[in-house]
Amino acid sequence: MIASLLPRNLRRTLAGQLLALAIALALGAVVILMIDENPLRVFATLMRGAFGDSEKIAGTLLQTTPILICGVAACIGLRGGMFNVGIEGQLFLGGFAAAWVGFSFALPPVLHVLVAVAAAVAAGAAWVSVPAYFRVRFGANEVVSTILANYVAVLLTSYFTIFLFKRPGGWSETPPILPSAYLPELFSFSRLNIGLLIGLALAVATALFFRFTTTGYAVTMVGSAPKFAEYGGINVRRAGFGVLLASGAVGGLAGGVETLGVHHRFMEGFAPGFGFDGLIAALLANGSPIGTIFTALFFGALRAGSLLLEVDTTASREIITVIQALIILAVSADLLLRRKGDRTGGRRWKF
Amino acid sequence: MDIAVKLQGITKRFDAFTANDRIDLSVRRGEIHAIIGENGAGKTTLMNVLFGLLQPDEGTISVNGKPLVVTSPAVAIAEGLGMVHQHFKLVPSLTVADNIFLGMEIRKRGLIDRKAQIEQARTLSRKFGLNVDPAERVAGLSVGIEQRIEILKVLARNARIIILDEPTAVLTPQESRDLFATLRSFVEDGMTVIFISHHLEEVMAVSDTITVLRDGRVVATRGKSELSKRELVRMMVGRDVSFDRRPRSPGSGRAVLSVSDLWARDDRRLPALKAVNLSVSAGEIVGIAGVAGNGQTELAEVLSGLRPASHGSALLHGKELLEHSPAEIRARGLAHVPGDRLARGVDGNATLSANMLMGRQRKQPYSRRGLIDWRAVDRETKALMQRFDIRARGPRDLASSLSGGNIQKVVLAREFTAGGDFLLIDQPTRGVDIGAQEAIHSEIMRQRADDKAILLISTQLDELAALADRILVMFEGRIMGEIDGAAMDEESIGLMMAGIDPVAAAEV
Ligand SMILES: Nc1ncnc2c1ncn2[C@@H]1O[C@H](COP(=O)(O)OP(=O)(O)OP(=O)(O)O)[C@@H](O)[C@H]1O
Ligand SMILES: [Mg+2]
Repeated sequence: MIASLLPRNLRRTLAGQLLALAIALALGAVVILMIDENPLRVFATLMRGAFGDSEKIAGTLLQTTPILICGVAACIGLRGGMFNVGIEGQLFLGGFAAAWVGFSFALPPVLHVLVAVAAAVAAGAAWVSVPAYFRVRFGANEVVSTILANYVAVLLTSYFTIFLFKRPGGWSETPPILPSAYLPELFSFSRLNIGLLIGLALAVATALFFRFTTTGYAVTMVGSAPKFAEYGGINVRRAGFGVLLASGAVGGLAGGVETLGVHHRFMEGFAPGFGFDGLIAALLANGSPIGTIFTALFFGALRAGSLLLEVDTTASREIITVIQALIILAVSADLLLRRKGDRTGGRRWKF
Repeated sequence: MDIAVKLQGITKRFDAFTANDRIDLSVRRGEIHAIIGENGAGKTTLMNVLFGLLQPDEGTISVNGKPLVVTSPAVAIAEGLGMVHQHFKLVPSLTVADNIFLGMEIRKRGLIDRKAQIEQARTLSRKFGLNVDPAERVAGLSVGIEQRIEILKVLARNARIIILDEPTAVLTPQESRDLFATLRSFVEDGMTVIFISHHLEEVMAVSDTITVLRDGRVVATRGKSELSKRELVRMMVGRDVSFDRRPRSPGSGRAVLSVSDLWARDDRRLPALKAVNLSVSAGEIVGIAGVAGNGQTELAEVLSGLRPASHGSALLHGKELLEHSPAEIRARGLAHVPGDRLARGVDGNATLSANMLMGRQRKQPYSRRGLIDWRAVDRETKALMQRFDIRARGPRDLASSLSGGNIQKVVLAREFTAGGDFLLIDQPTRGVDIGAQEAIHSEIMRQRADDKAILLISTQLDELAALADRILVMFEGRIMGEIDGAAMDEESIGLMMAGIDPVAAAEV
């Protein structure tokens, strides 16, 4: 059954993605050489920073968690033919909503977490509902509207934090949430929490959903052949709306997990770039939730490893951003090539 | 003898499957060479090998007497080869001229010179009598026009050896005659034409030499004069095939579909259906004849809920179906074989099972409480593959890996077994080999005998003559008149298809 969860053309996909990765790393090495560092040393430091000891591994997994959940959010969109670039914004609003429930209400322990998580999910879904509505009602491109919504979301949560709920004192952050709303931690030596397990379960559940449910089938068909799906009696608009809503809900969940599990409060700019990393992880995994587990881990390791990078080498942490950007380039080139390789096939272009 | 193309010992395998098995083929310069064979015989594969889209596992190619390794279509194009594919490859969002010059844009100061492209496209289309408007976007055009664009694309690249993969599958007899006149003028010009077709009449009428493929091998290459149609059929399918009018008994006559005063617009917002009236009863096949692009596609789309009507009514079992979703109309008994099978009829990137599942994913035994039982789907798919003679390795094959005719059979198999009692069938045998055509006709007659109401849209008059009880002729969105299928007379149909009322013509 597990085998059937993986994409059919696995070997071709895997080979392509690995090649893309290798090219990106090679180009990254060139950049590192240009700043007079030894690429091997940088990569070794990255590895050590990511997997050096159990604490470091926990740190990597801690970074992996929000990327994974955001990645699953992106996968849901991609499967339904929707490019949700607004996960970052949904993450911020979800994070804020969870924090608000966390510090405003006193509820019994488990219930408190559940309500806070529900608030995060609802906030993410609500935030994407406007672009989703415009997409299915007027055909407005969801890429543009969700990107724009990101800016509004980030600034809106900043506004809430600074002007409405600011904790007395220095930082731009809300009051801390009550301990009853904390996500349980997995180990004593790290802030790593059950958010990771939530992400893993979600990835597997999503894969199963798309493979084995009638709704998942309908959504997949809308994503891969919308005209065929319409002809076959699937309500393409409703499917598109539902897919974006679900994707946004999971994006919100990622934010909730981050505040309830790691920061225990909402801070301005609390989770920079996790939404985008998740999207890239999903693309790198070709929209497969199971594959996203591994790509998210890769990006989590890069992030965690980069912390040690600044301590041990002269390379700046930004080098990670450069490598990521190179990966995006290489992966999109691979996608283009694959479409070209398909040239004896169909007649319609699609994304 | 001047040989334009010589293939020797070409073998092409897909995994364990051999699509071309040691094929030898010589095409003389200045001839029209037809390649025929059943669906899946390997015709398209062979042409893709020649054009550099596929690499042969064994064998050699020489073009104009020069051995050639065709690593990509660019190599083939440089040698003067051009190919019009079975499934067109146009970019719908671009204009006709942009498509023609795609990849070889005419530039002025580094920018695309749209005006010059449109001018050149116009000159080209005039010169070869292929009438298209170069400034129009491809998205709204009919398949017939798309094909002309594909031919213009090839001509714009100065091809001297032109390969056409089933060029007439989407054309009407008149359009085909025009096409062949064009091809004739090409060869008189010293060009060489290789074409694939399932229409034996036209193969007999226009080709100089005929090569028959079967199961990936060459059965024979003969001059046309040495062959009769019957021999060709024998070589292709190994038995006789008949396309005489099918015997029938009257159906129950219960009214199923009644359309009155129906109006609709096409993609360009121009009126495509004008005051259409028609009715179909149970146990009856009503044929729609007409040159492609006279509103047939739009009629099918309106009746299946894929296109809004602007005015009028269409009652299915006495209840209005306009303004209802495709799902609702299907639930009330519609089954639909769409004209554009690749865009509407299948998802090429999905498996045969996933394609068969469409529309029945919520029914038992395919699913239970929202969970799909893929094993049951595979089993049913296998059964349908057997019943409809779909040639593929198994239900997990991707639809796009099937030959053109077999993809069509996938659509037919799904729709004919969907349980609907109103069948809307648009071009059922487009691109299907004659053996399978006969089988599909039998299947349609079986559906009629089951008292289904059938609306059959076809540009092939012989198909309508064999099957239809009544034939309506469409011209520019109007029904020009009705003809009894048993007494079909080509003369008056031809007049009506050209927009002339035969009664009025007789009176003058
Ligand atoms: N990319 C592919 N992968 C696997 N099998 C393929 C592929 N392309 C073609 N085939 C198989 O090779 C065989 C020959 O296919 P081909 O398209 O050449 O048939 P054809 O003679 O053109 O048929 P048609 O008249 O239906 O177009 C078919 O059985 C088809 O399923
Ligand atoms: Mg073919």
